[in-house]
Amino acid sequence: MEDLREITTLQATTILISTIIGVGVLPLPLFAVRAGETGAPLVTLFGIGIAAIGLFIITKLGIRHPSKTIITYSEEILGKWLGKVCSIFVIIFFTILTALAAREFGTVVTTSVLIETPLDVTVIVMLVLAAISARNNINVFAYIHNFYVPIILAPVLIVVAVSLKNANILYLRPLIGSDFKEMFFGALTVAALFQGSFIMTLIIPAMKQPKKAMKASIWAILISGGLYLLLVIATVAVFGTEEIKQLFWPTLELARTTSLPGNILQRLDIVFLSVWVTAVFTTIFASYYLTIYSIKQFFRLQDHKMLSYFILPFVYILAMLPEDIFQMYEIIRYVGRIGLSITILYPLFLLILDVLKSKRRKHSESKQV
Amino acid sequence: MSQNKYRAKRIFLLICLLPLLTGCWDSREIEQRATVLAIGIDKAGPGAEEREAEVSHEKGDISIPEENMIEITVQIAIPGRIPLGPQVGAGEKKPVLVVHVVGHTIEDAIYNLQQEIADEIFLGHLRLIVLSEEVAKEGVKRFNDYLRRNPEIRRTASMVVSKEKASKYMEASPELERVPSLYLAEMVDSLVDLGKFPESFIGKFWSIFSSEGQDGYLPYFHIRGKKTIQINGLAYFHGDKMVGKTNPQEIGSFMAGIGAEKGGYPIFTDIPGNKKEIALVQAVKRKTRIKASLKNGKPHVLVKVRYEAKVSEKESPNVKIKKEEDIRALERGFSNAGQRSLSDLIAKTQKAKSDIFGFGEYFRAQFPEYWKQNVETEEGWGNIYENLSYDVEVDTYIRHSGMKDK
Repeated sequence: MEDLREITTLQATTILISTIIGVGVLPLPLFAVRAGETGAPLVTLFGIGIAAIGLFIITKLGIRHPSKTIITYSEEILGKWLGKVCSIFVIIFFTILTALAAREFGTVVTTSVLIETPLDVTVIVMLVLAAISARNNINVFAYIHNFYVPIILAPVLIVVAVSLKNANILYLRPLIGSDFKEMFFGALTVAALFQGSFIMTLIIPAMKQPKKAMKASIWAILISGGLYLLLVIATVAVFGTEEIKQLFWPTLELARTTSLPGNILQRLDIVFLSVWVTAVFTTIFASYYLTIYSIKQFFRLQDHKMLSYFILPFVYILAMLPEDIFQMYEIIRYVGRIGLSITILYPLFLLILDVLKSKRRKHSESKQV
Repeated sequence: MSQNKYRAKRIFLLICLLPLLTGCWDSREIEQRATVLAIGIDKAGPGAEEREAEVSHEKGDISIPEENMIEITVQIAIPGRIPLGPQVGAGEKKPVLVVHVVGHTIEDAIYNLQQEIADEIFLGHLRLIVLSEEVAKEGVKRFNDYLRRNPEIRRTASMVVSKEKASKYMEASPELERVPSLYLAEMVDSLVDLGKFPESFIGKFWSIFSSEGQDGYLPYFHIRGKKTIQINGLAYFHGDKMVGKTNPQEIGSFMAGIGAEKGGYPIFTDIPGNKKEIALVQAVKRKTRIKASLKNGKPHVLVKVRYEAKVSEKESPNVKIKKEEDIRALERGFSNAGQRSLSDLIAKTQKAKSDIFGFGEYFRAQFPEYWKQNVETEEGWGNIYENLSYDVEVDTYIRHSGMKDK
């Protein structure tokens, strides 16, 4: 059964935005400041740049193979067996990514708001929610993302705007805070927060006009990247780099420091957290969907619904593996950087091979004539 | 048949969901919470070790010496007695409970407190932390860790330094508001609104404390008489230790130095040509520009303040303010007074190596090379700040002089 091609360009954009914006918004300023000191916005900008390149590569590949995903066209480009091996890595990576996102979510919730609630419960609830939602087909998937995007974007922008009254522009200078090597590694960590954008490979085959996928990608990276950059600028300007280094989740602290004028709400963290839960859900939902859909295509199954519950225990066990918050972030940074080779280098390799192959084909065709 | 199976499955699923209905782990009814509204921190007197209950450690089994022990006084809201709006005849019962405990650290003391209180201590509504001057002078670093780590504590809570013992503030009962700590917290907030004090919530204090080129400052409270509490100045810090205080008038100068927009302090201004006569001119708005520069490798700052002011009182009927020249003369007088007062304050803080104005931040931001070579640590900036050269220029514009002609 082939899904109908119903996803519009706008929907593709919103899927990307809500997938990219996820758990990462909370520690993002910390990652950026650790690497770049006052140059944190610049580090973020580099990171967005790297992420954009990755997204454009995957989009380009998708446009060249408008009815296939990376799992299927890799077999075509690399040959059946090599393609399959690489696909296994992709699937494993996204399973881990889903698990880590769920775990990070659980950690934040149990340390900041629901202190007595067991970690397992928050993680399981989120995963079950994703698993149930992932049973739907790709059109419903698109509707869900489309529906949540405004709810995710608006409150973050409000928090940033209101918090700026406490900002000190001096904290943002000098623009280049540390040496380039550190900044580069920081940029990689930031770019790893954008890995959800790999979902593009799955959207393109369901798009009405796959040719317009590039437009969707550009808008998505501009909006989500812009939001990330704004967040980093706001947190650094409000707290200063030295204070940020003492906080796990500077963005959450930003919401805690901000109150709506006129004492309507004295602290915004509860509002912010509830929005953030939505953002995390859409991210986990997308990576979960990507995982099971890839498995489905890998084994050439008819349907992905059954798989949804089948991999749930595996993801849950992976999520519970890190011992504590420090180990968790260590793993997240590590996995994120390794992941870049899967989400950027591997597609780049595919694209180069693909272009060469088609050139040779054209060449030989013209020879025959 | 298959429909039956489907239904059975559904019922089974619903039964599975039943245990979840009991609610979440973190639900606590409001009357089961001991809501702490304010904390006062004092030095514990001699013999504190004896008074402390053995809750988190056994006696003598801890590396912090007795001299460093603290006594905290908390104000706990009593459920049902906090008035929610203007009530007539709300009863004479006190709406808060005041408890004293000692401990080696804040959390230690809170544990000791919990041992005495049936309900779970809840810090989510903590509005005010009062540090006695004694404690502030020994350093506040040791409290920061707990206050940052605890997710319940708001960054928007206020922290103030008190001249008297902090416990007195917990027991004080100002008449304007039924809940004493709320009155104090409101006081800090509204003074900020009135332009009497710069924004100084605890999160801001931490940011400044963490930053390398600026030292912290907090409001300094003083009890006048029995019932009223006065904001008596500004406590300034070097590192985490309080090193001095200003008088209330100097808060105005300080706000000019950091460029707070709203002005609220008046200055008695001589009316030129009439040496004995004075008028009260109040700052309304100000705009500050700070220019940091390196003169022959030596740091130098230029502080330019532009005041918008108004004439609020003239004491003697003999002099008249009616011509434009009079206003210009008053402006000059105000500028001179403002210039002198700000320069004096800078000199005063320089002696204590306490850069509350954050001039260091300008150098860190604008001359990173210089900063890396000469300063790097805050201790270093304090030493440079001590000998920092500065110029203060003040301009005043008096826009209105009230309803009265002459």
